Amino acid sequence: MRRRAFLSGAGSAGALALAGCLTQGGGGGEPSGTLTVATYESFVDSPSSSPGGWIKQNFEAEYDDVTVEYVTPENGVTNYVQRKQQGAPVEADVYVGLNVDDLVTIDATLGDDTRLFRELDRDFVSNAEHLRPELEFGDPKSRVLPYDTGYISLVYDEEAVDEPATFDDLTSPAYEGTLLAQNAQSADSGQAFLLWTINEFGADGYLDYWRDLQANDVRILGSWWDAYSAYLESERPMVVSYSTDQVFANEDDLPMSRHRIGFLEDQGYANPEGMAVVEDSGNVDLATDFLNFMLRGETQAEIAVQNVQFPAVTDDQVDLDDSFAQYAHRPPEAVSFGYEELEGNLSGWVDEWARTIASN
Amino acid sequence: MSRREWTGLSADRTLRSLAVAATVVTAGVLLLVLYFPVGLVFAEAFGGSRPLDSFASTLTDPFYTGVLAELFARPFAVGVHLDNVGSWFAGVSVGPGGVDTPPLSKGLFGFTAYQAVLSTLASVAIGLPGAYVLANYEFRGRRTLRSLTIVPFVLPGIMVASGFYAAFGQAGLLNDVLALVGVGPQRLIETNPLFVVILAHAFYNAPLVARVATAAWESVDYRAVETARSLGATRRRAFRDVVLPQLTPAIATGALLTFLFTFLTFPIVLAIGGLELATVEVWVYYQLTEVLAFEEAATLAVLETAISLGVTYAYLRYESAQRAANPGEGPPREPLFGRASDAAGSWLARSRVVGALDARRLAIAGYTLVVVVLFVGPLGAMVLEGLTDGSGLTLRHYEFLLQRQASGASFQTKPLPAIRNSLVFGVATVAVALPMGLVVSVASTGEGRWRSLLETATMLPFAVSGIVFGIGLLRGLVFGISLPGGWRFVITGGVAIVAAHAVAAYPFVVRNVAPQLAGVDPRLVESARSLGASRVRAFLDVELRLAATGLVAGAAFAFAISIGEFDSTVILASDVAGDTVTYTMPVAVERYLGRRFGPAMAMGTVLLVVTAVSFVVVDRLGGRVERG
Repeated sequence: MRRRAFLSGAGSAGALALAGCLTQGGGGGEPSGTLTVATYESFVDSPSSSPGGWIKQNFEAEYDDVTVEYVTPENGVTNYVQRKQQGAPVEADVYVGLNVDDLVTIDATLGDDTRLFRELDRDFVSNAEHLRPELEFGDPKSRVLPYDTGYISLVYDEEAVDEPATFDDLTSPAYEGTLLAQNAQSADSGQAFLLWTINEFGADGYLDYWRDLQANDVRILGSWWDAYSAYLESERPMVVSYSTDQVFANEDDLPMSRHRIGFLEDQGYANPEGMAVVEDSGNVDLATDFLNFMLRGETQAEIAVQNVQFPAVTDDQVDLDDSFAQYAHRPPEAVSFGYEELEGNLSGWVDEWARTIASN
Repeated sequence: MSRREWTGLSADRTLRSLAVAATVVTAGVLLLVLYFPVGLVFAEAFGGSRPLDSFASTLTDPFYTGVLAELFARPFAVGVHLDNVGSWFAGVSVGPGGVDTPPLSKGLFGFTAYQAVLSTLASVAIGLPGAYVLANYEFRGRRTLRSLTIVPFVLPGIMVASGFYAAFGQAGLLNDVLALVGVGPQRLIETNPLFVVILAHAFYNAPLVARVATAAWESVDYRAVETARSLGATRRRAFRDVVLPQLTPAIATGALLTFLFTFLTFPIVLAIGGLELATVEVWVYYQLTEVLAFEEAATLAVLETAISLGVTYAYLRYESAQRAANPGEGPPREPLFGRASDAAGSWLARSRVVGALDARRLAIAGYTLVVVVLFVGPLGAMVLEGLTDGSGLTLRHYEFLLQRQASGASFQTKPLPAIRNSLVFGVATVAVALPMGLVVSVASTGEGRWRSLLETATMLPFAVSGIVFGIGLLRGLVFGISLPGGWRFVITGGVAIVAAHAVAAYPFVVRNVAPQLAGVDPRLVESARSLGASRVRAFLDVELRLAATGLVAGAAFAFAISIGEFDSTVILASDVAGDTVTYTMPVAVERYLGRRFGPAMAMGTVLLVVTAVSFVVVDRLGGRVERG
């Protein structure tokens, strides 16, 4: 049996954190060593395209003695939350791929005393000034910077249904048995769509709306892929998905008529992805530099194209090629809930919704 | 002491220490990789201010337990409950449309059990005729087909779900075929998702039932049938009185396994049926991995396991009541495509015999059609997905696999290591699970109720949610155990994966071996002992030899479990940065799932082919072992 032993314990971890604090932005000497970036699988290992390789190559090109190493913890950031709970080490410097709801879950689970991510001093992340304000997480502890965003919208087949314009359309007879959605318990897209309906109908009204949707035969499958693959198989003519859908349809030569984007109420629900520096990182300077690198115009364009999401910085900072602009659609109005709105509400909203749908 | 006696003694001593070592290793693996991780999660259920609070609130919540919630809330209010039952019956009306009953809320647990029972019935109904054909008829490819019955078992849920959509969806293969014969499109998944979910469960489990029942059928003592027939029993009667009793234990085993697996079903239900058909496991997953609500999740998981173990116990009581029959040679296999009977006398008699036989062969043809639709349909659809894209047939998904193998970055998943790891882990799992299963089988022999209880405990891996097992391994082994001096004892990587697979697989070995061990005539062992054999030697020479077929069958299942395992593999395979990669084929399939089917399905086809070839080889080797 292979045994791997780690030297850890509160003493050494505390010392590392202290060292980090002292040297942040100190500017002395060229940074070196390994920067461990924790992220989700498809950011580095998607069969179509992932920004991970480009980022590693270009970041390493700027720092001679630095190696970027990727880890993809199973179950994402909750893996690290549990490590913190159990007093196990978190062996990463940066986490890439946080949603606002992750932050809420982290704080609800760990409380105020245990910190997974550290507070950022934005003075050391100069490119953060170009961030689009509507994508900010509203984190009271200022730990997270957004690096890209998707917008939840409908994707529909224009030969089978007319463009759905409002939420009420979806409960009308014309759209009976047409919509595929996802389980808000486990799918990001499903949760975003649920939050969008709460934004529209309020915490008191959303369950009634969903009862109507259910009466109109909405089908709520497990993951985004479950629903989207059913859509690709022509099971139904409408699916909750992302407004960048046509980028893939274009790459795969699929008919555009089956990949129309529907922005209900002329809105899309923004689901920004964020990054943060791990509290226990022994490499805070380098980690902070990495965040700044991620927000550079050139990197932002690369992330947008390879991750098929929208940049988190303003348009004047990024030079995107025309095909992206042509096929990736931004909603006229972006809506989303920030940290404060979700805190203390999120799990209750999702739970009541799931019980409403699944009551046998 | 003669030289010969002396070497005999020393060999005995070696054997005995080997047996002791196997027992110690088994106990160690079970403690470290099963009881400790699962216990870690289960303990969370008792973490409230009062240890049983969480159970009380779950059991009295109608969402979970439906109409039974009232019963749990006020167990002693018998009058109230009787009234409720009375008023429900009062609401039953019989009209021209059939019997109309008032709605009965099943709750999450009730629905989960309900779909598991339906899935079990469907799997037995579809699997049993298969066993009949495989055991009673001879045709080209029979042995290969028998080997392949294990293939569906290893396929990742996501592949099967996609295969079902591609086969039975609106624009699926079935509708394409139906259109050829002029039948309009069927909307199976739309109109009856529960039916399709049950079919998907049967896709996994009917072959399992068929496999177990075929093995039993092939070793039915047919001399007894001949005796019964010579005493004037009709064919049907001889079947009912002689053959069926020898088959029922195997059928019951298949049914039990199907129930346990489908009671804990998860991805298939959500992918095909959706949240309206959610099972308890969906809630366990959400609470355990998304919101980290450990107490609620653990409570549900403990209840799931309690129900599964209860069913297992009932089954084992039943099994121990069955008399183990002496294994025989099985029925003579008649050619499936041969001429019916040339020996029949008159034209009339011949036509009757031919007619009867043709009716049977017609039924087999009908059954074959069902099998082709249910199994070849989705499997074919999966393979096709790997060979097509938006514009038709293509090899680009296989090119992707080659290119990823040739030039993928170190942090990316490559096909060859996945294939290698799957096979290496599979073989290693068999090597660990066989002795484990044997040790546990021997340890749980005995009599009556205690034996059933012990045996029930050995079935724990089948009764624990895969998600709980995975999270337990994560928190127990991957995060590590804190040791004095700031050290942590961490177990990940290949060895941990093999241990986890062996833990998931050894109950199969036990289920195949224990009944055979119990059936060994003790007089045989005694006479070996009286001739001077040590207990260990007698065990190896007598009991083990008689249990050889069970061991071979158990080995095949252990291999399959290892190849198909996902939940714990993915947890133990990640988290290892810069080390030797330990992902397997199902993990690679999941990682290649991007925004289109192709790459994942190409990898899935590789999984399918590698598994199929392995099993044909394993069964051939196993057949050689069985024949001695």
